[in-house]
Amino acid sequence: MSSTGIRSPWQVTWSVWHALFMREVLARTMGNRLGWFWMLAEPVAFIAIMVGIREMMGRIRLVTGAEFIPWLIVGITAFFLFRESFTRSLTAIEANQALFAYRQVKPIDPVLVRSTMEAVLKSVVLLILMIIGVLLGMDVLPDDPLGALFLWCLIWLLGLGGALVMSIVVRLVPDTQHVVGMLMLPMFMLSGAVFPIQTMPHSIQVYLLYNPMLHAVELLRLEFFSGYTAISGVSLGYLWHWSLTMLALGLALHRRFESRLKAQ
Amino acid sequence: MIEVRSVYKRYHTRNHQSADWVLRDLNFHLPPGVSLGVVGGNGVGKSTLLRLIGGMDHPDRGEVIRRCRVSWPIGLTGGFQGSMTGRQNVKFIARIHGDTDRIQQVIDFVQDFAEIGKAFDEPIKTYSSGMRSRLAFGLSLAFEFDVYLSDEATATGDASFKAKAKQAFDERVGKASIIMVSHSEGILRDLCRAGLWLRKGEAIWFDDIADALAAYHESIGQVKPRKAA
Repeated sequence: MSSTGIRSPWQVTWSVWHALFMREVLARTMGNRLGWFWMLAEPVAFIAIMVGIREMMGRIRLVTGAEFIPWLIVGITAFFLFRESFTRSLTAIEANQALFAYRQVKPIDPVLVRSTMEAVLKSVVLLILMIIGVLLGMDVLPDDPLGALFLWCLIWLLGLGGALVMSIVVRLVPDTQHVVGMLMLPMFMLSGAVFPIQTMPHSIQVYLLYNPMLHAVELLRLEFFSGYTAISGVSLGYLWHWSLTMLALGLALHRRFESRLKAQ
Repeated sequence: MIEVRSVYKRYHTRNHQSADWVLRDLNFHLPPGVSLGVVGGNGVGKSTLLRLIGGMDHPDRGEVIRRCRVSWPIGLTGGFQGSMTGRQNVKFIARIHGDTDRIQQVIDFVQDFAEIGKAFDEPIKTYSSGMRSRLAFGLSLAFEFDVYLSDEATATGDASFKAKAKQAFDERVGKASIIMVSHSEGILRDLCRAGLWLRKGEAIWFDDIADALAAYHESIGQVKPRKAA
């Protein structure tokens, strides 16, 4: 009965991705009532609250070359893109353990699919925020749309790379999951997503620049606001190095530990 | 055609000490169209072998070569997502197996075969274990595999369903072959032609399942009196 033929590896992988994607989307949107609503409303509400707090405090409005609220929107959504495509994919292997009974599904597949789905969701969120911003008469449209799109994808790659590496580490040493959770908050604060790093002394900035997300957030703002002055020392090359290293390391780890993850 | 080439398999304990080999230097070659019954006592690696052939696990050394469509173990219920309906789960499995243009066909077949009525559109977590295995069994038969794997799962559900499953299975065995792990002799004799006897990590091949069962029973016969004494 092999008349149906044996599918090529690429065909198999593609149908697994398709199936997993549909399943993840269904599980996230239909999981509870109004699931689809909160998926979009949660980040929007978060940004609204942050903007509200900053407005009330009414200080540090001196971001040169950009309006404050658009500046905040770009920073927060960029960081959320990284965080969600990173942390949501961490548990993807564990959550889909039962599926490895179907040998077509590899441990890397749910990680890739979840990360991609989060990227799609966060892109929709950014678009919605941009539309709201434009309707309110703010300057939220990117001055260099192509460059912004490119950086947006690069941030996702960074999150994906981190997810690939840590999904293996978390599975082998479960305690590391707490560490990742703990690191996310300081990283959020120190990426310049909500608090301008420009106001910090240079001696501290030097150390903060080891954080690739700071580079990512500042570079994305440069694409959005052509008059914006980012902190000095921001480099696209540094971000590329991080993304590619994490991706390569993650793929290598998945290759190495695939059989052990499947068996667990 | 399935080829098992010098396969070694062992499981690791929590503190990273290696246990003894479950399977040691296993070699055999299953020609197309031949059904195989695997016999042996508990814990000799029958299910492990089935998992390796199905690709759910990888051997520590050696390789398993599949040049045909091999099913997942028949009646597997672990892959279901509890919060999704039976229909959605069936769709998912059909998509994984690349039958995108036959999805409706697969769904109709499973719905018809499982006979669980309206529950087909209810979340799987509300199912009883019998309903689950009906769905799982129907799902296995909805796809045309060259080789089916079965791990003690052929007889599930109530009497009428059992008869139906047996019949569907017999029809399928004419076209495809099966690798079966079971302790019930009757089913093995009915469905399988060749036999594989697993003993202490080794495998002994018999062209006739009756010979494999005879050899297995003989070995138990030797052990039993000693235990009784």
